[in-house]
Amino acid sequence: MISITGLRKSFGAATVLNGIDLEIRQGEVVSVLGSSGSGKSTLIRCINGLEKIDAGKITVDGFDVSKPRELSEARKRSGTVFQLFNLYPHMTAVQNVALAPIEVLKVPRKQAEAEARELLHSVGLTERADAYPSQLSGGQRQRVGICRALAMKPSYLLLDEVTSALDPEMTSEVLSILAALAKTGTTMVFVTHEIEFARSISSRIAFLDKGQLIADLPTEEFFSATGMALPRVAQFLSKMRKD
Amino acid sequence: MRYGDFTPFDIVLLLQGLGVSLALFVSTTLIGLVIGTAWAVIRFYRVPVLMQAVTFVAELLKNSPVLVQLFLVFFGLPAFLKINVTPTEAALITLSGNSAAFIYVIAVSAIESVGRDQIEAARVFGLTRWQILRRVIAPQATAFAIGPLTGLLVNQLQVTSLISVIGVMDLTKVGNILNLRTLKPFLVWTAVGLLYYLTAKLVTYAGARFEKRLRAHTAWKGL
Repeated sequence: MISITGLRKSFGAATVLNGIDLEIRQGEVVSVLGSSGSGKSTLIRCINGLEKIDAGKITVDGFDVSKPRELSEARKRSGTVFQLFNLYPHMTAVQNVALAPIEVLKVPRKQAEAEARELLHSVGLTERADAYPSQLSGGQRQRVGICRALAMKPSYLLLDEVTSALDPEMTSEVLSILAALAKTGTTMVFVTHEIEFARSISSRIAFLDKGQLIADLPTEEFFSATGMALPRVAQFLSKMRKD
Repeated sequence: MRYGDFTPFDIVLLLQGLGVSLALFVSTTLIGLVIGTAWAVIRFYRVPVLMQAVTFVAELLKNSPVLVQLFLVFFGLPAFLKINVTPTEAALITLSGNSAAFIYVIAVSAIESVGRDQIEAARVFGLTRWQILRRVIAPQATAFAIGPLTGLLVNQLQVTSLISVIGVMDLTKVGNILNLRTLKPFLVWTAVGLLYYLTAKLVTYAGARFEKRLRAHTAWKGL
């Protein structure tokens, strides 16, 4: 379980997260929605320890991410997929995927690379396994990014606007993989602007506005009268649908 | 044959001088690489005190003439510490330190050239600082550094000629001797210059080849 209580984070004078309480249980797919600048990405970056939190507590399976000793255990349990892929440009797709298992989990290289190939095969990249990131399309890069996170066999997948840098066609190729993952019961925290897709795969929707969690509802409730009763949510949804 | 004529042995003498220059160049480059990189790693880890000390020493070495440093080591150190420093030792110490200072600067900027986003990705997957340095930063930083490093080394090769001043029998010193004997400065210094030129070209060529190999992964082929 990922448990967030009273989380506060500010950058200088700007308060980005202002008292967030959220729990993500094993097997859930929680989509985090909200307009740009509402603190969605920062929330992910706090969970995986890339940002130091100012107040509150985040634990991943009981490991406190603000304690350096426990952070490495917490990180072993969660895998992050980034908006801009963040692949290692000097390594092939296979090497990108196999790096962390080899270095962190001490899996023998041959085995790690075989597993990496299998993962890449499962996302349709069998032929591109030995290509460098610069030789791949955006959608292909993000699929490598997903494989890289999955290679660590994480209990939780943290997805930070993973389709924001992709065109609609590439977006759908990445989303179909995420849908398949959701079906297998992978726990996901899914920060996104893809409202309709979030609705189709999520068990819950968390809605952030100006650093506060103003809604945390089961998916269908969020999109029905309960969610619409919240003015900010209604406004957000009507705007997104018009686009 | 007059005393002032060229003899076939002069070629051997020139090649011997070239050998001394090359040996000093290669050994001080290697020592400089080890020390300069180690300094950069100290900075990468932000080791307190040591980091400030490194910056201070590197600044001193970068901002004073090599010839002055050479005189300080060759004349100053023996007088101050009451020890014996041979010309070769003085040359080795001075040139190594000077190369280290400039290689440190190149290494630091090369490390900083690697995108933050990749480092964040590696951190998130639990790699230690050392693992990130070795597997993610070092390969890319090396590729980045080869260009400036080649430029530096070509310059350091020419700088080795300064050590002739304290009596090391390098290429320039041999040229000096031949010049005094034959009194044909145009011929002698053309030959000496050509030998430096060819060696520098070799360094540039090796650097370019190495860089090409390290950059095999990028589609960028230059303008």
